[in-house]
Amino acid sequence: MDAPLVDVPGLRWIPNGQSVLYGPLLELADRLDRRFLGWAADWGAPDHRFPTFLPATVLERIDWFRSFPQHATFPASLDADDDNLAAFTDGEPVDGEGRVHPTRLAAIRDVLTPAACYHLYDHHRGRRFDGPRYFTTRNTCFRRETHYVPLERQWSFNMREIVCMGTADEARTFLEKATADVDRLVAGIGLPLRWEQANDPFFRASKNPAYLMQQIDPTKFELMFDDRLAIASTNLHHDHFGRAFDIERDGEPVRTACIAFGIERWLSAFVHRFGPTGPWPDLP
Amino acid sequence: MTGAEERDALRAWIRAHNPDVPPGEPADDTPIIERRYLTSLQVADLLLYIEEVRQAPVDPRRLKAGVFKSIDAIHATFFAS
Repeated sequence: MDAPLVDVPGLRWIPNGQSVLYGPLLELADRLDRRFLGWAADWGAPDHRFPTFLPATVLERIDWFRSFPQHATFPASLDADDDNLAAFTDGEPVDGEGRVHPTRLAAIRDVLTPAACYHLYDHHRGRRFDGPRYFTTRNTCFRRETHYVPLERQWSFNMREIVCMGTADEARTFLEKATADVDRLVAGIGLPLRWEQANDPFFRASKNPAYLMQQIDPTKFELMFDDRLAIASTNLHHDHFGRAFDIERDGEPVRTACIAFGIERWLSAFVHRFGPTGPWPDLP
Repeated sequence: MTGAEERDALRAWIRAHNPDVPPGEPADDTPIIERRYLTSLQVADLLLYIEEVRQAPVDPRRLKAGVFKSIDAIHATFFAS
């Protein structure tokens, strides 16, 4: 495996799993996102900018917390009771090792976005569509991990997604064309990539029926850089989100599919393939 | 059981667990997952039923892509050999 990227111009690594981007690397990130937005525009997909907080009730609709508890990150705040706040300030708010010592916490009702597209299903809850619809969104996503690697495995990272809501055929056609668009791009710029069947990282996978279902009905494919790093994925959800969020197409639960791009991981692929300072290829 | 009876048993199980399946469905080649006649919550139960009908356990190594795509695929995987 290659050494972690730390001495890259335009990257400052924060060891708790976050990175600062600036200069040429930030410009490359923006250029990549514009390429992804170009594909979204081809679908007529309007962009959406959602908050980073997602109500926990939204993810509870899809049993997310039981499937991926290891990834959850919650925004926590102190109970606003005056005595509670005074106890906090009278104590040691932050110790010498950087650990916060909260007093009583307020009820937690939100989770930091673990995947950008969840907002879109909630945003369109209850909608009735009479034709295919396409949407795009980008968000800072948060996934707690056991270890972190600069640009490749981060606690917070940027994800761009394009989502199709339609019939089963429309969802499949969307994934086929979206995959072909990506294939044309990566072939043109010479990145060593291939698509690979994948599974979501379910907690206690062997006990989760959704994991078994992914074995027998592959719905997730990842674009692997150098046979080791997934920089994009396609996901066919069947009617999972359509049922959970009461979204219909012609009287039936809508079928959904998405393609997701992990922007920092694309940066890692470019830096590994073309060097930390480029020149990086154009993105036609 | 004959092959036709095994297929009818599978068909009856799917219909019993999915009241919304239209009359005559699923045919032997109907894509039962794509049509949502079989969901993730039902797969484990269907596996148990398959073991009951074939009177033998299912080898987990057979649980690969496509084996539950249709009644034809299920039959070819778990009954025909």
